[in-house]
Amino acid sequence: MVGLEIHVELATRSKMFTRAGSPGHPDFYDREPNSLVTPTVAALPGTLPVMNRRAVEMSMMVGLALGCSIARRSKWDRKNYYYPDLPKGYQISQYDLPLCHDGAFELPLPGGATRRIGIIRAHLEEDTGKLGHELPGGFSYEGSLVDLNRAGTPLLEIVTAPDFDSADDVVAFAQELRGICRFLGVTEGIMQKGHMRFEPNINVIIELEGGGTVKTPVVEVKNLNSFKALKGAIEFEAAAQVDRWREDGRVMGPGAKSTRGWDDVRCATVLQREKEDAHDYRYFPDPDLVPVTVDDAWLARVRAEVPELPHARRARFVGYGLEAKDAAALVEDREPCLFFEQVVAELGGGAKAGYAAGKFLLNQLSKRANELGCGLHRAGLTAAQVAGIVSLRESGALGAQNVDALVAAIAGSAQDPKSAAEAAGLLVVRDDAALDAWVDRAIAANAQAAADVRAGKMAAIGRIVGAVMKLAGGTVDAKTVNERIVARLRVARLGEGA
Amino acid sequence: MQHADLTALRDAIATGAASAEAACAAMLDAADRLNPVLNAYHETFRDHALAEARAVDADARAGRPLPPLAGVPVAVKDNIATVLGHTTCSSRMLGNYRSPFDASAVERLRSAGAVTIGKTNLDEFAMGSSGEHCHWGPVRNPWDTARVPGGSSAGSAAAVAAGLCAAAIGSDTGGSIRQPASLCGIVGLKPTYGRVSRWGLVAFGSSLDQVGPMTRSVRDAALMLDCMSGLDARDSTTADRPATALAATVERPVEGLRVGIPRQYVSGANDPEVNAAVQAAADAYRAMGATIVEADLPLTDVGISTYYVIAPAEASSNLARYDGIRYGHRAQLRPGEDLFTLYARSRSEGFGPEVQRRIMLGTYMLSSGYYDAFYKRALQVRRRIKEEFDRAFAECDVLLGPTAPTPAFGFGANADPLAMYLCDVYTVNTNIAGICGVSLPAGHAVRDGKHLPIGVQLQANAFEEDRLLRAARMLERAFAERNAKARPAVSA
Repeated sequence: MVGLEIHVELATRSKMFTRAGSPGHPDFYDREPNSLVTPTVAALPGTLPVMNRRAVEMSMMVGLALGCSIARRSKWDRKNYYYPDLPKGYQISQYDLPLCHDGAFELPLPGGATRRIGIIRAHLEEDTGKLGHELPGGFSYEGSLVDLNRAGTPLLEIVTAPDFDSADDVVAFAQELRGICRFLGVTEGIMQKGHMRFEPNINVIIELEGGGTVKTPVVEVKNLNSFKALKGAIEFEAAAQVDRWREDGRVMGPGAKSTRGWDDVRCATVLQREKEDAHDYRYFPDPDLVPVTVDDAWLARVRAEVPELPHARRARFVGYGLEAKDAAALVEDREPCLFFEQVVAELGGGAKAGYAAGKFLLNQLSKRANELGCGLHRAGLTAAQVAGIVSLRESGALGAQNVDALVAAIAGSAQDPKSAAEAAGLLVVRDDAALDAWVDRAIAANAQAAADVRAGKMAAIGRIVGAVMKLAGGTVDAKTVNERIVARLRVARLGEGA
Repeated sequence: MQHADLTALRDAIATGAASAEAACAAMLDAADRLNPVLNAYHETFRDHALAEARAVDADARAGRPLPPLAGVPVAVKDNIATVLGHTTCSSRMLGNYRSPFDASAVERLRSAGAVTIGKTNLDEFAMGSSGEHCHWGPVRNPWDTARVPGGSSAGSAAAVAAGLCAAAIGSDTGGSIRQPASLCGIVGLKPTYGRVSRWGLVAFGSSLDQVGPMTRSVRDAALMLDCMSGLDARDSTTADRPATALAATVERPVEGLRVGIPRQYVSGANDPEVNAAVQAAADAYRAMGATIVEADLPLTDVGISTYYVIAPAEASSNLARYDGIRYGHRAQLRPGEDLFTLYARSRSEGFGPEVQRRIMLGTYMLSSGYYDAFYKRALQVRRRIKEEFDRAFAECDVLLGPTAPTPAFGFGANADPLAMYLCDVYTVNTNIAGICGVSLPAGHAVRDGKHLPIGVQLQANAFEEDRLLRAARMLERAFAERNAKARPAVSA
């Protein structure tokens, strides 16, 4: 069984209890050590914390997305312990009245089924600083260095029920949660920057040969900051705990919990602390802060901010007729997804528009985006321009072979795709007489193919289509040409018979 | 002008009748002369103060509009952060500490034109009731230097009493403004919790701490509070109320005033002269047409035990930041010694015995298994004490009683910590309930041939400072003659 604790570093502009810039916000990524420090961060005498309301709102949004109840009254508590990365000698956290509690999330599984994951609580706290042993530039230093940039960053700790029974489901949940957080705009979810950290609590239920079961002691693996490590740690423990039980026979019980870390190189967990109840944190309500009261109006405002979540969007996109993998690709990142939604809206919405836009984005625009190394929304076209191109394609006015040329012509400009295409001669020629003339010349030049088509061998038509396209210099649409050839050949046959 | 009150000095400066620079220089000179005896100041800011005062004089001469405290020298208790000089809390731990910011109260006083003249000594980290527990040596009472000035705002009280400043600010967690005010014969106001921002006040018991004025008159206390109080975005526990405007009304007597005297306050354990002063105050009020009612505060006695759970518990956590890592005293380590030795030794060397005692008490009481029996229970009693005051204030406007059970005592007289803690029996509940209280002079006792001030305390419900100070002003007027009978032995 696995229960998961997830720490999400919230991307507020300022820290949890002071105006210092917060390193979880893109404006403050990768700053010089100790450059995001105010007197409050350094815990100078006489400083006081003031709650960041935006951090509370972001936490409420995550709680709502996970089906949690939002506490109408929660409070701040001090967790007291000494460590050089903890400037005040206590961490402000929420002990017995978390902001969000008692939720559940239906985790979508491959094949369309779901698994219900209970959310015990989600509370807000402040992060600690960091201890290092290297000078900037990688020079070694004898002793410890404290960097307080991260100290005081708002941290949302989400605790699930032990509702997982496989590493894959845990990882699926973690990834889903990352997507949710990204859609909520509460973090960019960059794992390397520690925006999300996972701590699985793992034990194994062993079925005995003679019937009955035993439960191995719970192991908490600390501070995993990649999905790979998360999966690896759980799988390693699942096997190792059975071996340990065979060796020492220890089972789950009070004081039996231990804490381990993950060694990325050896792909194994390493013992950190044998007993977890050695610490007495002397929690008590922080007298510097007032309780958090969430009234109806505030809750309603925050609820209105929660957008449609990734799993709901994926389901809707599949409803457009897109394949599951395409739907997933469109929901992968927030900005490209919102761009896609905008294109669909420009097209008037609906399944047909959704399908056409989805296909265009994934088949044509993604190529360009990949080449540019950017998201679909940054490929140089506005949603209106993309919608214009999709419309031209759908109406048959723009041939597939001219799409790239049109995109290249208007990218980075405000040009309307239709007028640009017209100006560049990229549109299908609507001159039926000219088209018929090209078709007749092509039929005449490919008599054998024409005969085959007349005989019902439709595959032969490609040759004639190709010839027409060549004659037309790309100003016709293959689909229209196809229809025209069939029509001409039928007319001809009828004519012959008459 | 040194013995005029702050308001009179302010008026004289504004009209050109007095020079701010001269007044300031006289106080600085007196401080230089008397501080070796009184030890009221840890440091004074002569150059800064004189420059500021000169600027005010120039403004006054030019007829420019002056802010309400223009040119008056104000002393600041050394547990209140100032960019000027040090902020040591009279502790070895912060012996060299300089604050990069001003406390909110200091900032507001300065923008009201006050001149910061110096930092005053205190019982280390505001823990004490005598002024003896100061790393820079004990503070002495200007009325009798063989006796303590009271604490913890010892230096502020002594400086105001001896004329070494026009007024001072202190902090009051369980009586630290009112008790030394009483022992030094001045006015000390503990405002309602949330009236004055705690930003920049070095935390002792965060839910009890409050910055307040220590002055020579009730009207000065009103004016000072007007200039310091009001909502501050940097302290979430400040009340969402504008600054007070007490100076405008303080001279107006309260019509139909009802003065309650809690029967628990007139205790046989008090010095008889203290009880007599309370009786004299009651008589004076009656003579002014007030109604005297008996009040009942049966929880008066449990205040001290409640206080000595809540305050040390909060202190144990508030003082955890003094770990020798980022600032403050750091002990020398011998090779091979570890981080936890660094913590333990820095804190053992940096903190005095009283501070260590309270940190240990608080740590113990917050520990797993003891929390419910101590801290949680203390919070329950705290609610009951507040309710008890609410019931009392339904029957009266202010409560009258002694500020401290005795006049100033000798050095070492309360060496037993428990005896010392009892000095605050009449003041701690004001903080526990978060209401306001003021101590004002009520005559003298004579001991060893020396006059020692006696104070009486008035308390009013939360945010009732207007009624509190108007009632106090009534008594101050009635006691003018009584209080004029003696002056401090050591004085400018």
